[in-house]
Formats: sequence, structure tokens, C-alpha cells
Amino acid sequence: MAARRTLLASLVLACLAQACYGNVLFSSLQRTLIVSASPQPGQVLKAGEDKITVTWRYNESFAAGTDSAYKTVNVKLCYAPVSQVDRAWRKTVDNLAKDKTCQHAIVSKPYSPANQSYEWLVQKDVPEATYFVRAYALNAEGVQVGFGQTTDKNKTTDLFAVQAISGRHASLDIASVCFSAFSVVSLVGFFLAEKRKAKPSSAPN
Amino acid sequence: MEVAGAESPGRAKFALPVDSEHKATVFRLFSLASPHMRTFHLSWVSFFACFVSTFAAPPLLPVIRDDLNLTATDIGNAGIASVSGAVFARVAMGTACDLFGPRLASASLILITAPAVYCSSIANSATSFLLVRFFTGFSLATFVSTQFWMSSMFSPPVVGSANGVAAGWGNLGGGATQLIMPLVFGIIRDAGAVKFTAWRIAFFVPALFQMLTAFMIMFFGQDMPDGHVRKLQKSGEKPKDEFSRVLYHGATNYRGWILALTYGYSFGVELTIDNIIAEYFYDRFDLKLHTAGMVAASFGLANAFSRPAGGWLSDAMSRRFGMRGRLWALWAVQTTEGVLCVVLGRVRSLGVSVAVMIAFSVFVQAACGLTFGVVPFVSRRSLGVISGMTGGGGNVGAVLTQLIFFKGSKYSKETGITLMGIMIICCTLPITLIYFPQWGGMFCGPSSAKGTTEEDYYLSEWSDKEREKGFHQASLKFADNSRKERGSRRGELATAPEEKSSDPEQEA
Repeated sequence: MAARRTLLASLVLACLAQACYGNVLFSSLQRTLIVSASPQPGQVLKAGEDKITVTWRYNESFAAGTDSAYKTVNVKLCYAPVSQVDRAWRKTVDNLAKDKTCQHAIVSKPYSPANQSYEWLVQKDVPEATYFVRAYALNAEGVQVGFGQTTDKNKTTDLFAVQAISGRHASLDIASVCFSAFSVVSLVGFFLAEKRKAKPSSAPN
Repeated sequence: MEVAGAESPGRAKFALPVDSEHKATVFRLFSLASPHMRTFHLSWVSFFACFVSTFAAPPLLPVIRDDLNLTATDIGNAGIASVSGAVFARVAMGTACDLFGPRLASASLILITAPAVYCSSIANSATSFLLVRFFTGFSLATFVSTQFWMSSMFSPPVVGSANGVAAGWGNLGGGATQLIMPLVFGIIRDAGAVKFTAWRIAFFVPALFQMLTAFMIMFFGQDMPDGHVRKLQKSGEKPKDEFSRVLYHGATNYRGWILALTYGYSFGVELTIDNIIAEYFYDRFDLKLHTAGMVAASFGLANAFSRPAGGWLSDAMSRRFGMRGRLWALWAVQTTEGVLCVVLGRVRSLGVSVAVMIAFSVFVQAACGLTFGVVPFVSRRSLGVISGMTGGGGNVGAVLTQLIFFKGSKYSKETGITLMGIMIICCTLPITLIYFPQWGGMFCGPSSAKGTTEEDYYLSEWSDKEREKGFHQASLKFADNSRKERGSRRGELATAPEEKSSDPEQEA
């Protein structure tokens, strides 16, 4: 009974936290992190094979104490505008709860103002698109309070591409073709069987 | 009066009570009695499988669009392609049923479109994706063979119910697939496959299911209560009809065209909603994809009872008011559907929106069921062509509404839905123009002029030469059995001058 009450309480708290979580506007965040990534501008990386090394650190030119609330850093792979055209499911919206620009998580690490880096294998489920890297600094409640990214304000420089896996395999291709052929052949077989059955029945019953 | 040269079939023993054409006069849902109920179960399951295949892609689009790098325009075009193939396939299917029988026609179509479903697994671009959806969509023409088959197996008093349940449970596939495909995908992915491979493997499930149903039809189905069309043609009981005459009598019957138009705004709207509703709820109310999929599924799953309810309502109206009752019910239900569609686009809160959508789904699907309560009576000789035209018209409606209201960014989805509702109300008005001389129309009673009986109506499809050869016998039997469409008040009083002494097999 007590366990159930605790569960209910934590559920309520989680919902409240969720409610607070959602109202941050991207335009209100300061670019307090300096982020860089290993790919050259225009480089094409292969999903599942190539690696990205991301480095980030606090930008000391900001007033002291700006980063006092920072607890964690979330590094994400984000879509460049050219890959968002005619794709509403990747839309950039100022309200971070509804923003869909950054859909692939790279790493989440505790915050430290010094230089940090991480090597990430481009996952196999990353789609073919043009990307940049962005890091969000989160406070203790998990709310975004700062960011940094590899590209400029308009997201036009230092972009790189990922070539996705197709998901196809030779075995799948062969299976598809074989079953398709079987489907057509069995139809022909049925027709022939029907013709053969029809012949003797034309005799008077 | 039997046709010379045809042996009268030995009084075959049927598990269900039958009329003079050996069509069942009752519809027992949970029986497997051969041939009537067995045919029912074979045809609805195969049609269900085709719906599952045709709409297997939409619930997996979030994965497919990333794998194939699709834009919203690509997705919209593929959606339109998926319903446009069946426009002509349905008309062709109607003719094929008239000529070869529904068993061969439906099994052939299912086996020919199964490769398209298998090849969905190897699609690798927007173009190939569009092509596989286009060819898979052809399988929706099995709707026509289902309706034709039910109309061949069940007598007029119950044909509305039989058609309604068969089509409704088939359409269920469009809803079931929104639950099945994500589930199968999840299982395969959890078993270790990468996302972009898992969806490809998942497509084998609807493909195999579809192929299996075709085999079952070939092994266990039969065209008519008395046997297969080919066998009956060879033994002379069912004369082989001439394609051009069948097509002519179907195409020149204006009622077929009106029903084709109005079906575009019940079934066509249902297909359009199947393609857009998940996205609508996802975008407008910020639901998770999984939740939006469940809402989308509930639209299609209402088919389990709504469409059959339409069929039952049609038959119930007919018992009391005859064909005029069927027409009035169709107009009223479909107009209400339009009103609810307008409301759906205007509502702003999630809870009310889901409630309106469910009410809307009930009326849409009931309107579909009511339409096919009328179709079997438009023509006897060209039943297949009329069914095909109406079915094809349904798909034309789907293509039109998606093109006008849901392609590109001209209208927001909610405005598109409201405008579609207005178009539904307008395009339902032509039902008022349908008139049967022997039964009447919505506003006019039956004609009391000479030569306006059921026999006159159905025999007008046969020329004198054809009548001399006795080709019209089936139509004559049908005319007799359809006399119940006069309704309870007229039916007991009027007796047509050439009415035969009642066939002992016919129910009172």
C-alpha cells in the first residue's frame, strides 16, 4: 500500500516536472558552449562504420557564474535546414518541447568547464541527411539552460552528411523474388488444374 | 418452365434455407455451412488480407521515410497511388466476375498483387516506394468480387446484411494493420534486426497472409450455390455471356453512375481518412506516434460493426418501406456523415475530437453498407459491372479528396477536413435522382403504368433473341425474389399479371 502511494506520488511529481520541462524557448538560450566535431565540411560519413569525435568546453568570455547551474551536457546530432525541407517531422520550433531538429542523441555527460570529448560511432538507424552537432547544457531539473553548436546561427556552415545503410540484404532480396515467383507460378498451376478438371466434366452426367 | 437442354439440378441439399436461385435466405454469422457461409468467411478474410497489405505502409512511415529519404510530397503521392490503382481494377474485376466467376477472379488478383507486397521489402527510393504501393493497391479490387460473391450466395432480403458484414470485416484490415505492423516491426527489431531492415522483414507477414488466403479460395471456394461458373457454363446451366453486352447494360444504367459518385463520398472518404488521420492527430494534438496510431486504428476498427449495421439497416428499412426505405436511409446517413466531417475539422480539443471522429467513422461506414444494400438491385445481368463501377467510384473519391484537400500546404488539415465535409453533403444529393419504375425513388412512388414490374425491369436487359435462347432465366428468378423490395404494405396486395405460382422452395 505504501509502495503504491510512493509510486503515485513519484508519478505526479514526474508529470509536474514534465510540465516545467517543456516551456524553454531556444531563442532564450545563450551560446555558452564551444562545440566542434571531427567531420570536415561536406564530408560524407557512413552509418555504422565511421566515427565522429565531438569536443566541447565552456566559453570563458561569458560572465563568471553563468554556468553555475549547469549539471549535464546532452550532445545531439541535428538536421540542417536542407534536410528539413518538405519534412514537417523534422521541423525547427522555438519551443524546445516541440522542436524536432535534434533527434539523435550522441552522448550525455556530467558538465565540466574544461575541454571534454567523446568518440561516437554513427548508428545504423541514422537516416541519410545533412547534419550538424549541438550540445545542450541542462540544470539539475533537466531543463535546458545553455547550448553550443558546430555551425553558425543560420545553420549554413560546417555541415556534413551521413550516408545511411539501406537495410537491404541479399537474403531478403532473394526471398522476395522467390516468393513472388512462387505466387505467380502457383496461379498458373491452379489455372492448368482447373482446365484439366473441366475437360472430363463436359461429358453428360 | 425449364430451359430445354439444361438438366434440372437434382434438389441439392443445402444446410441453410434457400430460394429458387438456391441463394440462402438467412445469414448465420457463426456457421461454416457450405457453400453459403463458407463462401462468406473465405471472401471476407481474403479482402481483409488485401486491406492489411494496402495499408501496411502508413503505420511504419516514420521508419520508412527515414530509410528511403522521403519528403512529405513523396509520401502524399504514394498515398494517392495506393488508392488510384484500384479505380480501374475494380471495374475490370466486375467484368471478370461476370465472365469467369468470383472465385477465379479474386484468387488471380490476389496472387498477382502478392509480388508487389513482397517487393515492398526491396524498395530503395521514393519512386520504387510509390510503385509498390500503387500495385499493392490493385488488390483492393477484391472488394468487388466479395460483393459479387455475396450477391450470388444470398437472397435479396439478407443481401444487404451479407454484403455489409463481408465488406465491413474486410475494411477492418485497414484498422488492424495500424496495430499489426508496428507490433511485428517491434518484435523483429527486438530480435536483433536494425530498424531499416526490420520494417522490410515485417512486410513478409501481410504478403504471406495474402497468398495463403488465395490458396484457401482456390481449394475451398465455389462461385455459386450450385457449383463453379465454368462447370455450369459447360453443362449449359449458366450460359456464357457476352462481354460487350454485359458492359453495355452496366454502363448505360444511370443508377450505377450515381451510386459510383456517392460511394466516392462514403468509402472514398474512409480511404482518405485512413491515409491522413494518424498524422492529423499527431501534428494537431502532439500525440506520440504510437498513440496516434491507436486513434487511427480505432477509426478503421469501427468497421467491425458499423458497416454491417448499415447493411442491416438497409434490410430492415426494406422490410417495411421497400427500396424507397433503402434510398432514404442511405441519403440520411451519408448526409449526417458530411455534417460530422465538418464538425471534426472545427473541433479544437482532443477528447471531443476523438469522440466526433468515432461518431463520424460509424456514419461513414454505415453509409458504405447502405450503398451496397441498393447495388444488387440495379442490374442482374451486369451485377459485376455495377459493383465494379460503384467500387471504382469509391476509389475515385479517395483520389479526388486527397488531391484537392490534402496534397501540399494549400489547406491546413483541419480546413481540408471541413471542406471535405461540405463536399460530402453536396455529392450525396444525387441519390434523390435514383428511381426504379417498379419500386419508386426517394420522392416519387412506383409507376402504375403498364410494363413496370420487376420482371420488366430485369428482362429489359435481354434482347428478344437472347430470351428465345433462354439466357434470361436467372434474371427471371431474381425478379421474382426481389418482389420484397415493394415493402410490407404494397408487397402483400399487388400481384403482377404474369406472376407464377410460388416456387415451393421460396420462403413465404
